[in-house]
This record gives sequence, structure tokens and C-alpha cells, in this order.
Amino acid sequence: MTSSGRRSDVLRVQSISKSFGGLKAVQDFSLTLCEGDLKGLIGPNGAGKTTVFNLLTGVYKPDSGAISLSDAEVAGLRPNQICRQGMARTFQNIRLFGELPVLDNVRLGTHVRAHQTLLGAAMRSPFSVGEERAMTARARDLLAFFGLEGRAEEQARNLPYGDQRKLEIARALATSPKVLLLDEPAAGMNSGEKVALRDLIRRVQTTFGVTILLIEHDMGLVMDICQRITVIDYGVTIAEGPPEAIQNDPKVIEAYLGAPDEPSVEQGVARA
Amino acid sequence: MLPLLIGLVFAAVMQLVVKPNIGDYPAKLVLDIGIAISLAVSLTMVNGFTGQFSMGHAGFLAVGGYAAGIVTYYGSQRIWGDRATHGGILSGRPLAIDPATLPLVGHGDWLFLAALVVGGLVAALLGFLVGLPSLRLKGDYLAIVTLGFGEIVRVMIQQTNATLKPQDIAWEEVYPALPRPAGVEAVASYAFDVIDPATKLGRTVYQAVSDTPAWDVLTHVGGSLGFTGIPKYTSLFWVYIVASITIFAAFRLKQSTFGRAFLSIREDEVAAEAMGVNTTRYKVWAFVISAFFAGVAGGLFAHTLGVGLSAETAGFLKSFDIIIMVVLGGLGSISGAVIAAVVVTVLPEALRDIPQYRLIIYALALILIMIFRPKGLLGTHEIWDRAVWKRVRRRGGSEPGKAKGGSSP
Amino acid sequence: MDTFLQTLKDALAIGSLYALIALGYTMVYGILKFINFAHSDVVVLGAWGSLVLSRWLEARTGSTWTTDTPAPAYIGLLVLLAAMVFCGLVGFTIERLAYKPLRKAPRLNVLITAIGVSLFLQNTGQLESLFGNRPRSIPALLPDQTLVSIGRVNVTTLDVVGLGTAVALMVLLEWLVFHTKMGRAMRAVSHNTTTASLMGVPVNRVISFTFVLGSMLAAAGGFLWSLKYQQIGQTADTSWTLLGLKAFVAAVVGGIGNVRGAMVGGLAIGSLEMFGCAYYKSSMADVYVFGVLIVVLLFRPGGILGKATIEKV
Repeated sequence: MTSSGRRSDVLRVQSISKSFGGLKAVQDFSLTLCEGDLKGLIGPNGAGKTTVFNLLTGVYKPDSGAISLSDAEVAGLRPNQICRQGMARTFQNIRLFGELPVLDNVRLGTHVRAHQTLLGAAMRSPFSVGEERAMTARARDLLAFFGLEGRAEEQARNLPYGDQRKLEIARALATSPKVLLLDEPAAGMNSGEKVALRDLIRRVQTTFGVTILLIEHDMGLVMDICQRITVIDYGVTIAEGPPEAIQNDPKVIEAYLGAPDEPSVEQGVARA
Repeated sequence: MLPLLIGLVFAAVMQLVVKPNIGDYPAKLVLDIGIAISLAVSLTMVNGFTGQFSMGHAGFLAVGGYAAGIVTYYGSQRIWGDRATHGGILSGRPLAIDPATLPLVGHGDWLFLAALVVGGLVAALLGFLVGLPSLRLKGDYLAIVTLGFGEIVRVMIQQTNATLKPQDIAWEEVYPALPRPAGVEAVASYAFDVIDPATKLGRTVYQAVSDTPAWDVLTHVGGSLGFTGIPKYTSLFWVYIVASITIFAAFRLKQSTFGRAFLSIREDEVAAEAMGVNTTRYKVWAFVISAFFAGVAGGLFAHTLGVGLSAETAGFLKSFDIIIMVVLGGLGSISGAVIAAVVVTVLPEALRDIPQYRLIIYALALILIMIFRPKGLLGTHEIWDRAVWKRVRRRGGSEPGKAKGGSSP
Repeated sequence: MDTFLQTLKDALAIGSLYALIALGYTMVYGILKFINFAHSDVVVLGAWGSLVLSRWLEARTGSTWTTDTPAPAYIGLLVLLAAMVFCGLVGFTIERLAYKPLRKAPRLNVLITAIGVSLFLQNTGQLESLFGNRPRSIPALLPDQTLVSIGRVNVTTLDVVGLGTAVALMVLLEWLVFHTKMGRAMRAVSHNTTTASLMGVPVNRVISFTFVLGSMLAAAGGFLWSLKYQQIGQTADTSWTLLGLKAFVAAVVGGIGNVRGAMVGGLAIGSLEMFGCAYYKSSMADVYVFGVLIVVLLFRPGGILGKATIEKV
């Protein structure tokens, strides 16, 4: 607590809500991320975690509430504008540009920081050529960081599953975000890959200095790397605190175990 | 700029060396191929790059053609007082004149070039308007709206009036209030049929060509009879210059960061937007650029000898023709579109004895390609990409990614 | 007043035809989420099938059927049923051969395939050995008697039978979709194909059934069209494609995927077209229809009876 007082807030979410028809998907959700935080967002299936991500990144507009990113209000902006402001994400159900080469997936991420003009690109002006070169270099650096430099020319959809997850993170980092939202990066990985992913997330944070909000079903991973955790259920925040406190919170235990037909069964169907 | 220079040389060789040696009929075929290339490559920018399925491309072609036609048809009358071509050697038409006395590029060619640009710009403006619905509509909804757009253009053209032809009219008829200057008998004039507001009766009013403002002629493009009498400037040189520029622009676009942004929209619009791509802006841009080149190609089409520019030019059959080229070649492949444009233009010649089977063969090809080669012949790749050849060599074995391909909703 | 009544009659006649054809588009769209571009060609096959069969029957019975001496009523019914069975089979075959292999392909591919199927049917039909490439006229299957006159507007047997058949078929479809087991299966597949198949709905059979049903309605549309206009254009005549497009527009305007919407949309488009032609400019009919399509899609994408959908991320 004392340390977070000195660091500045990067992302401040104040009681955002969203309903679809009669369904209240997210209610009065609040969250604050300080610079360098690595926070977990957990909850049973259908609790509204991904909806929170969609609200933060502008895919959905919140019905009410405020979202400020580095003191700029971003609620209601379009996803591309929010990305420009410094928030990037990965997707739970991988959404790479499958037909494009791996390198181009990452280079696309750098597009949002590009300054060249259409005419300049068509005429290959010196500025445009220089910028393209810089974009390519940055993309290659990122690929090297994730150990994907050898697959730069392959089509993204041909990568193995774990590499596709990494590529999504690389692409998001290419947009130079302040805040990185990771949506279930460990989904479908085996335990060995999960350990590697844990180290990778830590390295990403120290190397790129990003603040991370992580949705993850694997409790071991979340408890291991997150400094603080927010738990939501049915769109409502039911607990917030450091991992130890969350593990012993009766509300959290009830949310996960009190509804026996919820998490495990559906998860099984979804993965099948 | 080197590729453009090569294009210039290529186009000049086509006109000055190839054309005189292959005879008129093959030359016309080569010319049609060039226009088809421009059309197919320009449609690739929308349907192939951004994945927005436009079915109204012929609408841009027609609008560009009509706009360019207005410039040269009425422009010539205004400037030279006739409807003949005033081109040079590169537009190659006035055979009666000794070629030695002709300049390389005549005055008329400059007017023609200006007309092409005007045609492109008018089409681009329309592309902007048609692109706007693409912001809210996806997939087949957009397809049907663009198709409807083409039809609207077609019907609108049918509503226009007959073309105006200058006639020599006695001075007194044209300028009843002015004294006739000595030596002047008649004035080149247009006849306008107007309805007298007082008597409700139709009558003919003559207006001197030199006094007729541009907006008065805009609606006189022939209606359902077609726009005839446009001076025929289009030559292999101009066609292949335009084709070169179109291909060049498409490549530069595809290889730039903007091209990647276009392609990302096709691949996954949600992800593209989350990665900071202003999908709204780029979708409209794609329509504008594509429409511009289609409009320029329309200008070439309008000025081709033996071509009747009519409302049907905007019809969906013409759009289907262009779509077939783009799909056969591979959605997103520029070289694929070029190859398909050649094939689709030459095929009717190969099937000359059985023309009724031409469209049946296209249709079957379309269906079979969609079932067995869903990305078209080359997919997004270019013919010289390694991936294409790798796959050809690996044929018979399992195609990489086939297991996962098309699994996304 | 006479103009208004006459226009209203025309609007009902053409609107009910649009509605019949629109039903085929809307059912296929509801289930497979693509525009079956070949649907208008099934309508054409319905019209030409009716023509060929009635010509054959005419020759077989050694009679000449004209407006004054029309065919007996049962012939008309026979021709209608035969055309519906024929087109049902055609629809089934198209789905099996062209669309089924693409069940998991991107929607754009299916759309392009549908265009291919459409071009194929149009141009195959024009071969000399089939229907030829000239318009032909169908023998008179109905008397053209005036039943009622309101002012100077005559309501003929043709009008009544045409509208009656269309309405009867729509009522039948309504019952089928909302009150039978197959109808429930169709609605389930339309709502969510994956879930429906998990619940044991035989998805492929439902899709085939939908195509057969839509094609039979299309056949009826083609039959009624040929009764109304007598002269039938060659299969690749662009007016057929336009007829199909307008019916599709009707489906969209009514709310795509919605059976009642197709009926409402058909009447709406028919009225718009006829009243536009009667009171403004008849040559602009296509502009009204496509103009309305663009306006509806931009401001109420779900159509009159539809609702907006949220894309899942």
C-alpha cells in the first residue's frame, strides 16, 4: 500500500457497468492499476472478465462509469483510439492475422505509432522508407525476445498453439502500450509451458516496463505472479487483495465451489 | 520510380512495336487485357486487401467512363469545334495523317489525360460515398448494397438526355438581339428542347457551343441509347501506362504499413481495431483508391474504338466479370489478379466456336475453385513468393494449415 | 381514385410474389447466413418448368390453350405441383453439391459459390438443347374473367388465384415453421447451429429441408409469375436477377431470417415500387428499391421485424 502511494496511477476504472438486454454483464466495476503493477482478474466462467476487457479496450461502450488511462478519459473512445492512448490486449480465443506472416503481425502492431502518409508510402519517400525500416527492426527485436525470430516468414496460423499465444503478446507489445491486458494467456498450455509463460510474463514486465492486468483460470499461475487480485462473479466485484487474502476469502471460495455445476463442466465442454 | 519507367517503356513498346506487327484484331484483344488488368487490380484493393466484398465495381467503371467522356466529347467541341481526335503518335489513331508530321503526344492527348484524371476523381468521390456504408455493414450485406449502388448508377444513366451535337445555325436564330458581324453566317450551336413555362409547349432553343456552360451538358450523355461519338484516344500506350501505374500503386500499398493495415482488416477486424488500426478510415480509403483506378480504367474504356459506352456498363454482369478475375487470381494477390484478367479476357477467344459455354465454364470454375482452392489460385501470395512454389512442389502431400484453415467463424 | 386502386392491386400482386420468393432467401439466410444468389434462378426454373410441362400437356392432349379457351383448372394445379417438386429437387441438389462442401468455409466463399451456381443455372438454361435463348410464352392455364369491378379497376380470376395461392402457401409455411417438429428444428438451427446439433437436431437434414422448402416456394413464385406475364424471359435475362434481388431486398427490409418479416417486406417493396412507378417515374423503379435497401440497412440494419445483433468478441 505504501509503495503504491508513491507510484502514479496508470489506469483508473471507476464503477463501470454494462448490460446486454436484461443481463447485467458488469456492475459497478472499479479498479486501479499503478505503474508496474501485475494484477490478476479472476472469476468463474461467465463472470464477466472478458466483458471487462472489452469495456476497457472500447469494444463495448460502458453504460456508465469512467475509465482514465494516464489521466486521459478513454471511456467511449473507439478501440483504435484507446490503443493509441496506450492500452493493448490479447484475446482469449486467439485472434491473429492468420494469413499474414508472423513478422507482419508484429509490424502491424507498430502501425499505430507510424507517422508516414499514404502518398509518402506510395512514393517511398526517405522518411517512409526509414520508418518502415525502423518498424521492421522493432518487430524483429520483439520476435527475438519471444524466441520466434526463426519463424518470422511463416504464416501466423501455421504456428503451434503456444507460439500463437506468444505472438499475440508480441503484437500487443509492438503498439508500445503502457497497460497490457492478457486474456487467459495460459489457456490450453501444459504445465511445462505454463512455467515458461510465468517467467515470460515477468520478463515482459521488467523489460518493457508495462503494467499488466491478467485474466487467468490457472490459479497456480495467478497466485504465483500477481501482486494483487480482483475477483468478480456475475459482473460484481466480490473480493480484492493480495493472493493470500484471496485464497482464504469465503466469498471467493463460495463463488468457485458453491456453484458446483459452473466452472469445471462448462470448461470441459468448451475445450472439447 | 524505376518500375514506373519500365512501365512507360513497356507501354511505348506495346504501342510502337507490338501493335503494328500483330494486326488489328489481336491488338484489340491486348488492349482489352490491359483495361481488364486495371479493373481487376483496382478491385483487389477492396475485395482482396480489406476483405470488403464490393459487387458494384462496374458502377465506378461507368461513372469514370462517363465523366471522362464528357470532358473529351464536349471539351473537343469547345476547344477545336469538332469531335475528332487530336492525338499524337502514342494514341495512334489519325491514320490519314502522315505519321511523320505527328507529334509524339498531341494536344488532344493532354485533354484525354485530363479526362482520365477527372474520371478517376469523380469515381473516387463516389467511392467515398459507397465506402461509408461499409463502416456499418459487413460481408454479404455490403455486397448487396454495392450491387444496388451499381444498379442505381445504371438506372440514373438511363435517365439522362440524348447527347448534344453541334449544328451550324443561322446567327439570327442564336443571337436574335445581336447584330450579325460581317462574314459570319452561322454559329455552331446546341439544340436544347425546353418547355415554355408560359405556353406549356415544347420548343427548341439554340445555344452557341462557346456560350454553353459545363453544367448544361452534364446530363446530356445519351441516356438509354448510350454515349456515342466520344473521340477514340485509347491506345495500347495509354492502356498499359495506366495498368502499370495501377499495379505499381497496388504493390506499394500492399508492401507498406498501410497495406498491412488493410490486410489486417480482412483477417480480423476486431483484432485490427484493438491493435490501433483505424478500420473506419482505411475501409473508406480502400474504396476511394480502388474507385479512382476503376474510374481511370473506365475513361480508357470509354475512349476505346468499337466500344459502346452505355448504362449497361454499370450493370452487375460487368461487376461479376471483374469479381471472377479477382476471385480466380486469389483474393489479395496482385499478380494473381493480373493473370486472371489475362485468362478471363482471352478465354472467350479460345471458346469462339462455343460462346454459349463461356459463362458456364466460368461458373463451374468459380464453384470448383471455392470448394477445392478457397483462396483462389494464389491466395494472398504473389506468383514469385516462395510459399506458392513450396505448395506446388508439396502437392499430393498434406497442405500446411489445411487442418486449421477455415475453422474460424 | 382509380389509379390508387389499380396501383394497390398491382402492389398486392407483385408484393405477394416478392414475398414468396423472399421466403426462400430469408430461410436460407436464417440458417446458413449467406445470400443464396442462385435462388432467383430456381424461380426461373419454376417458370420454365411450368412452361415446358404445360406445352407438353397441351400437345399431348391435342388442344390449344388461349385466354379464351384456357386449360382446365386441374391442369394448372398439376403444373404448379410438378414445378414445385422439380424445383425442390433442384434446390436439394444445389445444396448437396455446391454448398454442403463449404459448410465450414468463410461466408464470402459461400457467397461467391452462390454467384457461380447462379451463373451456371442461367447459362445452362439458355443452351439450345434446354430452354433456348429467346423468351417464350406459356399457354393460358387460367381464364382471364373479370370477377368484380371497382370503378374502372377490374379484379380478374388471375388476380384472385395469384394472390390466393401466394397467401395459402405462406399460411402453410407459417404453420410448418411454428407448429411442427421440423419447423422447431429449423428455428433451433437458425438460432444456433452448434447447440442445435448438440441437442440432437439433424442439422444437415434440416438444411436440406429448408432448401427444398424454399425452392418449392420459388417454383410457385415462378409459376405465378408466368401466369401473370405469359411471356417468359430466357434464363440469363437480367430481369430475373433483378427480380431475385428485389425479393432479397424485401427479405432484408422485413428483417432477414424472419419468416413473417419476408411477407411484410415483400408487400412493402411491392407497394413502394408500384406506387413509385404510378405516382412518380416508372423507369426509376430499381432506384426506389435499392435506395430503400440502403436506407434500411444504414438506419435499421435488422429490418422492420428484426432486431440488431451484437457481435461476440
